[in-house]
Amino acid sequence: MSVISSSAAYLSSAIRDNSPEHESFKKFFDCWLSEQNQQLQDLIFTAKSFSSTPVDEAALRSLIERVMNHYECYYRTKATWSRHDVCAMLTPSWLSSLEDAFLWIGGWRPSMAFHLLYSKSGLQLEAPGKLDELIRSITTTTTTTTGQDLADISPEQLSRVNELQRRTIIEEKEISEEMARCQETLAGPDMVELSDMVSEQLGTNNGSIVDDVGEEDRVESALKPREKGLEEVLKRADELRLKTLNDLVDLLTPIQAVHFLIAAAQLHLKIHEWGKKRDAKHHLAA
Amino acid sequence: MAGICCGVVREGETSASMEPSSRTLKRRKVELLTYKFIADVAVPPAVECSRKRQKLELYASTAASSTRECCKNGVQSSEAKSKDESEGSHACEALRSSRPVNLRENSASTELVENKILRLENPRFGVTSVCGRRRDMEDAVSVHPCFSQEEGSVSKGCHFFGVFDGHGCSHVAMKCRDRLHEIVKEELESDRLAPAQWKEKMERSFTRMDEEVQESNGSDRIISNCRCELQTPRCDAVGSTAVVAVLTPEKIVVSNCGDSRAVLCRNGVAIPLSSDHKPDRPDELVRIEAAGGRVIYWDGARVLGMLAMSRAIGDNYLKPYVIPEPEVTVTDRTDDDECLILASDGLWDVVSNDTACGVARMCLRAQNPPSPPRSPGSSGEVRNDAAFESSDKACSDASILLTKLALARHSTDNVSVVVVDLRRERQQQ
Repeated sequence: MSVISSSAAYLSSAIRDNSPEHESFKKFFDCWLSEQNQQLQDLIFTAKSFSSTPVDEAALRSLIERVMNHYECYYRTKATWSRHDVCAMLTPSWLSSLEDAFLWIGGWRPSMAFHLLYSKSGLQLEAPGKLDELIRSITTTTTTTTGQDLADISPEQLSRVNELQRRTIIEEKEISEEMARCQETLAGPDMVELSDMVSEQLGTNNGSIVDDVGEEDRVESALKPREKGLEEVLKRADELRLKTLNDLVDLLTPIQAVHFLIAAAQLHLKIHEWGKKRDAKHHLAA
Repeated sequence: MAGICCGVVREGETSASMEPSSRTLKRRKVELLTYKFIADVAVPPAVECSRKRQKLELYASTAASSTRECCKNGVQSSEAKSKDESEGSHACEALRSSRPVNLRENSASTELVENKILRLENPRFGVTSVCGRRRDMEDAVSVHPCFSQEEGSVSKGCHFFGVFDGHGCSHVAMKCRDRLHEIVKEELESDRLAPAQWKEKMERSFTRMDEEVQESNGSDRIISNCRCELQTPRCDAVGSTAVVAVLTPEKIVVSNCGDSRAVLCRNGVAIPLSSDHKPDRPDELVRIEAAGGRVIYWDGARVLGMLAMSRAIGDNYLKPYVIPEPEVTVTDRTDDDECLILASDGLWDVVSNDTACGVARMCLRAQNPPSPPRSPGSSGEVRNDAAFESSDKACSDASILLTKLALARHSTDNVSVVVVDLRRERQQQ
């Protein structure tokens, strides 16, 4: 529990101290990652022990809730910081360049969750003997063996996954469109006028201090609504990410959800690790 | 006939009221309509599948009001339905042949006739259709049991199964899903055809389907709110495959255009009933070049370097090289027939015919181990019900397992699978 409180502690201290935003968020993120790693070990342990002796469902649910709360904590913190500095949250300096390159609006692309599910499900379905076991389980017509892992996804679950995927992609497209609209406003008439005006002033006046102050104010007030727009888009994107995770976990059985959350954490942590290693190598080379 | 008219009118209303609206609006309207027509669905299903289900139900009602022959379905559907309700979910894409419960009364009346009809007319099938690893759903599936009730017509007591895999956008596939069975029905009912005329009738149906697609390209382009409008005004660069099986008591008539496929599983052996139309198939290559076209290898063989199949509904921009003419096979049904699998290339690209048959066969057998033929009677009747329900479940199990297998084997396309049980072991001897 002490680990849990530490990322939460960063959140409150950073707000209180008003320390430089991305520095604190980086600390928060590193702390959050180590907690995720800890939870991953718990998930793996649970999944392993489940295969030998069925674990109490309440225990499974409380573990899942803990993991989901951890995700929620991440997005809550992120939302707080993006109110301070949305630009920093959209260009996260705490990620590797590999992760940066695959970002969708400051985070992971929500529709990726379905690929993750299908890939992990496929991995478990292609495990030796699994297909035969599935067909055998149809023979016995008992439901005791269903919902053991992600290969056992039922017709109802698959149709709900499929439906959720389609809704998610539609929303993802809408948010992308909103982002496009937001980005396009950067070349709006007021911005062009402002940049034109100050550039010409610079040519004639050599930029007096009085003008600089005035310019800064005007730039700030021109950027303000645009940053607000970005903040809205980021908020929607993060909400969709969290909602997609929640909805997927909800439609899976508890043990399936554990397998899914393992896959999600493993991929997240590994890509971060590989990305950091690559960056270190490139840094050395340069 | 009244039922049929009713069904058609309602359908017309549905599509008419849907068309001028945006995607969101469209979905909302369909949801409303769904509620109105099938109040028993717990969760509002998605656009495509709700329409599909709705139509299934309409057709079932059609069958019920005009004849008793399909009424046995009511029993099996009541099982499936109560299951749906209790789970609070909708088996939407993976739908079973669920039909209104109120058909149940009809089934008690004429046992003997029914038993005969059961054998002849009761389709047992499972459908799964998922978006998979694609961002757009361009597959469409259409299942219409007892789709024609015209007395004396060859199509009476026949079932229609179709899989359509769209490309460019989804609207041609959707149009095929909504219309092709109606066109085939009209063609089959238009005159008393001799059995040898299946080929002509099906060819004519596909030609008409293609013409309708062309017409709609010209007229209601603005109406169909789809992706391709955003990307390009050239709506004629859209098409769809079509593999259609018309199942009669004696025959399986498969018409294919494109690279979806129908495979018959007979006594454990996979027999393809269609041959994929790929541009590098020798006879297709000859045909395309004779028409003045070229096949260029650009990420596989493509007509004019663009389309990776040599026949399709739609695709006006590639005519006359790409044609809508189907190849039709007529296969006599035998007692060794186990099941028929129709699927889009999302399945066939990663699962062989043999594997697919093996899996489907095991699912069917697992559910319903071969039992000695039973004489008809009241107890037999009950057993039959159970067997039917489970057999349908077996088909669903098979279609879902094949879909999961395709996804497991990294299929990157939409995956649509229809499995039809062809076994006749409950036939009276």
